[in-house]
Amino acid sequence: MLLWLRAMHRAVFITLLLSTVALPLMSLTGGAELHAKDLEKISFIPQWEPQAQFAGYYVAYEKGLYKAQGLEVTMLRGGPGKPSAGMLAGGGADFATMFLSTGIQERARGAPLINIAQVMRRSGFLLITRKSSGIDTPRDMEGKKIGLWGAELRLQPTAFLKKYDVHVKIVPQCYTINLFLRGGVDIASAMLYNEYHTVLNAGVNPEDLVVFSLADYGINFPEDGLYCLEKTYKQNPATCCRFVLASLQGWKYAFEHPEEALDIVMKYVNEANIATNRQHQKWMLDHMRELIYPSDTITPAGELSESDYTAVARELKAGGLIDGIPSFSDFFVNCVRADEK
Amino acid sequence: MKNRGLAFKLVALILSGTAAVFLTAFSYYYRCSEKSVMANVEKNTRNLAHSTVHEIETVLMGVEKPARNFATLLSMGRQETDDVARYTECISSSNPEIFGTAISFEPYAMDRQSYYFLDYCYREADGRLARTRLGSDSYDYFTLDWYQIPKVLDRATWSEPYFDEGGGNIMMATFSVPFYREMDGTREFQGIICVDISLLWLKNIVSALKVYQTGHAFLISRNGTFITHPYSSLIMGHTVFSVAEGSGDDSLRRIGQDMIRGGEGLVALEGNPLSRARAWMYYAPMSSTGWSLAIVIPEDELYSDIRRLGRQVILIGLGGLLLMSVLIVVIANRITKPLRSLACSTVDIARGNLDTELPGIRTGDEIGRLTASFASMRVALKEYITNLTETTAAKEKYESELKIARSIQMSFLPKRFPPIAEKGNFEIFARLEPAREIGGDLYDFSLLDDDHIFFAVGDVSDKGIPAALFMAVVKTLMKGIAEAGMEPSEILKKTNVELCRDNDSMMFVTVFCGVLDLKTGSLRYSNAGHDPPIIIRRDRGTEWLAVPDGLVLGAMEESDYETKEIELRPGDKILVYTDGVTEAMSPGKELYSEVRLMEAVKSSSSDSAEKLTLEIMDAVVEFASGAPQSDDITVLALTFGSPKGPLVAQ
Amino acid sequence: MEIERYKQDRFCVIQVKGRMDAVSAPEFETACAKCMEQGDTAFVVDLAGLEYISSAGLRAMLVVAKKLKSNNGSISFCSLTPTVERVFSISGFRSMFSVHDSLTKALANS
Repeated sequence: MLLWLRAMHRAVFITLLLSTVALPLMSLTGGAELHAKDLEKISFIPQWEPQAQFAGYYVAYEKGLYKAQGLEVTMLRGGPGKPSAGMLAGGGADFATMFLSTGIQERARGAPLINIAQVMRRSGFLLITRKSSGIDTPRDMEGKKIGLWGAELRLQPTAFLKKYDVHVKIVPQCYTINLFLRGGVDIASAMLYNEYHTVLNAGVNPEDLVVFSLADYGINFPEDGLYCLEKTYKQNPATCCRFVLASLQGWKYAFEHPEEALDIVMKYVNEANIATNRQHQKWMLDHMRELIYPSDTITPAGELSESDYTAVARELKAGGLIDGIPSFSDFFVNCVRADEK
Repeated sequence: MKNRGLAFKLVALILSGTAAVFLTAFSYYYRCSEKSVMANVEKNTRNLAHSTVHEIETVLMGVEKPARNFATLLSMGRQETDDVARYTECISSSNPEIFGTAISFEPYAMDRQSYYFLDYCYREADGRLARTRLGSDSYDYFTLDWYQIPKVLDRATWSEPYFDEGGGNIMMATFSVPFYREMDGTREFQGIICVDISLLWLKNIVSALKVYQTGHAFLISRNGTFITHPYSSLIMGHTVFSVAEGSGDDSLRRIGQDMIRGGEGLVALEGNPLSRARAWMYYAPMSSTGWSLAIVIPEDELYSDIRRLGRQVILIGLGGLLLMSVLIVVIANRITKPLRSLACSTVDIARGNLDTELPGIRTGDEIGRLTASFASMRVALKEYITNLTETTAAKEKYESELKIARSIQMSFLPKRFPPIAEKGNFEIFARLEPAREIGGDLYDFSLLDDDHIFFAVGDVSDKGIPAALFMAVVKTLMKGIAEAGMEPSEILKKTNVELCRDNDSMMFVTVFCGVLDLKTGSLRYSNAGHDPPIIIRRDRGTEWLAVPDGLVLGAMEESDYETKEIELRPGDKILVYTDGVTEAMSPGKELYSEVRLMEAVKSSSSDSAEKLTLEIMDAVVEFASGAPQSDDITVLALTFGSPKGPLVAQ
Repeated sequence: MEIERYKQDRFCVIQVKGRMDAVSAPEFETACAKCMEQGDTAFVVDLAGLEYISSAGLRAMLVVAKKLKSNNGSISFCSLTPTVERVFSISGFRSMFSVHDSLTKALANS
């Protein structure tokens, strides 16, 4: 409720946050004073509050992977009121994570940002409903109240509903799942790795839920990716790709050492006083694995396939969210292949 | 040994029996105590829960009421901006628990220019009220829970608790009431009036609850989120379901579901992060907010009193059992000690020390009676043995006297029978088979002179030593009295006279005596009450000898006797016997009788006196065939001349 | 051996049944002694049931007779069985004692 307070004291707050983050940073750099000049200072912000969804980055930072790439990263805290695109545009952050659909939309709007790595290659988007609602197939959703997130997050479910020619009453869903839990909507949007687990841990049994995984219905839009401003890349392409490399390394390490990764995530969580617990983060991390390293693809991690790009862009256009499809090559920079070269 | 055995058995039996009874009673009692404790606990915690819930809801009511009232007010007509401002200020100031009040409107519902309209009056850190207007692209409140949920659900709702970070991480909750406007008969949603309160006081109330010593209470929200808990790490971050997930506790998940459903009751919690040890939890719903209050009491504490008591009782019981076993051992000892000493004494007695004193027992119980019996048995044994010894001694003495008597008897009887060859004019043979008890038979023969042989067979009336002695006297007398030329009757008469003198015992003797003239074969004989002998003529058959009457010797002094005479030819025999022969009894209680004797003699082919005598003896013995011989058996045979010799004397 | 004694007129009648031998002879003496204690001096011994008598029995009778004689008493025997008759004859007791055929005769005669 008191988000207004945060809005009011945003500046103060960010300063406070930065100082809590910067202090450990400084102590770290204390031991590497000789190389301080050599490290490039950059900033990174995840698209939401600290959680295992961004574990790879935290791990990369904490395990010195960024530093190994010569990068001194300021880990910023994301959340409501700090949209990634805005942060990039406003210069608040050099790098940010963002949904692919959001990235394309921004680009189409004219925002000069590019995708330097598509981290999540599969979608974890779900539409969930209670078994008692009687909805078993997409067609059963006809005329029902459906909770959908904000504009760009609406993309996948809209495509899904269009695919099955279902007309629904849309209710805007905020970042909690309480409206669904209270019975305010029949169907709610949920990420498998996040809100779904929250619903379970609010006392709803899995057998009492009917889950529509959009990926199973052919709507499988990749989500999180790493973005920066075009000019950031043009100024220092190596830096960007090194950031990508270290970040991917961070993810790899996180999946190989999940408990350690969770320790790191919980550290950030506790600093930000997020109301969550280790189990929820563990669930989240476990489900990240399939999204970031899908078992059914051979494309290396971080690479955005043109077909995925085209599919998403087409949907955006069809949904009237964008007018034209930006060129793929303008949009995506393949740091991964570049490294391989 | 025996003592240990008995004591051990007693201890084991009694102890196990008592222990079983004790344990049964104790466990029953303990179970009942547990039940009663639980019943008590349920009652107490239920009351506590209800009273706490009531207390909390009273405060919440204080928040709800103004909100609801003003919602009604707001529904009543169009509001001016100032009014709205006044309202928020009014509410915020009215209740110190209220952190802030906001009235927010649907797009353009407040006025045609304002898409957003949110008036917020709040308390600052120093306590003063402040006001602000909110609502912008960055703060699009229409989708937020506190606005949307009551709007969609069409009723006043309490939000999930949340952290207000700006104010220093205070936990807050918001009560939102939708307000409407009547427009053309339809009710139209206008906006939300909501009130924020800090939940610190709630935390204080709950943590201040005195739940026994080690119990605690916690509150969970509609989603199961911990609003307050002694483990602050659980607060807000965890739901009761995430805790259940973490420990894999299905039962806890089910309990949590019942709690958020508004259930109430007492349940058992096995060890889990919520309470570590086994505990009991009473939960009750807070209907206004849909939250649930739980009171947890570790089972240890609940039962600590009765457990302690139980332990003490067990200790007492054990002590009692121990004491009892000591007592039993002592008592067993008391019983078996006299038994042991009795056994020792008995062993001693068995060895033959009949004078061994038995342990003196003065108790009137079975042991005492046993000892008394033993004592009398000992005395009886002693007497019996003494008697036996005396009797045996007496018997032995008697036996030896009998032996002596027999030897006296035998010694008096002539044993040498002159062989035929020596004299050639007679053959004499006799055999006396004494009875078990000396019978007093006698036989005698002697040559009065060269031509006359005197012989006699007698049977004393009595038995035993007196008879033997009397027999000796008779024989000696007769031998002394018999002279050559004296008539047999005279011999008898004189012998009788002597016998009658000093015969206080009234013993008498039957005698047959005779004198055989060895030249002529003339046999002169007399009888004193004796059985008639048998004459066996060589060629003229066998017949009974006619004997004269005569009273037994020793009966009457004046008795008279008669002599008779017969002629014997060479080869003729006379067989004299005593009634031991004729009165010998077979096992079938048949008497041998004169008839059989005569037959045996008649059918005998023995020619010598010896052979005949022995034959008759054997026949009698055979007849008796093992039956005890009650009387002496005597047979005497005298052959005149040689059996094979010339018929005429030389 | 069974002994019965009863008073008949002035006589003590002693009825003897069975066998009189060394074992049972003392009983006869005892029975007679009892009669003598009562002051009876005239005895009749009924031997109707007496099957057998041994020398010990004869002796007992002799003892009783001698005793009675010294007290100026009398004894007679009656109803002798053939076996006992024979023994009495041979031993000479028949001639020594008064023997009758029947009890009546014995009671009439003494």
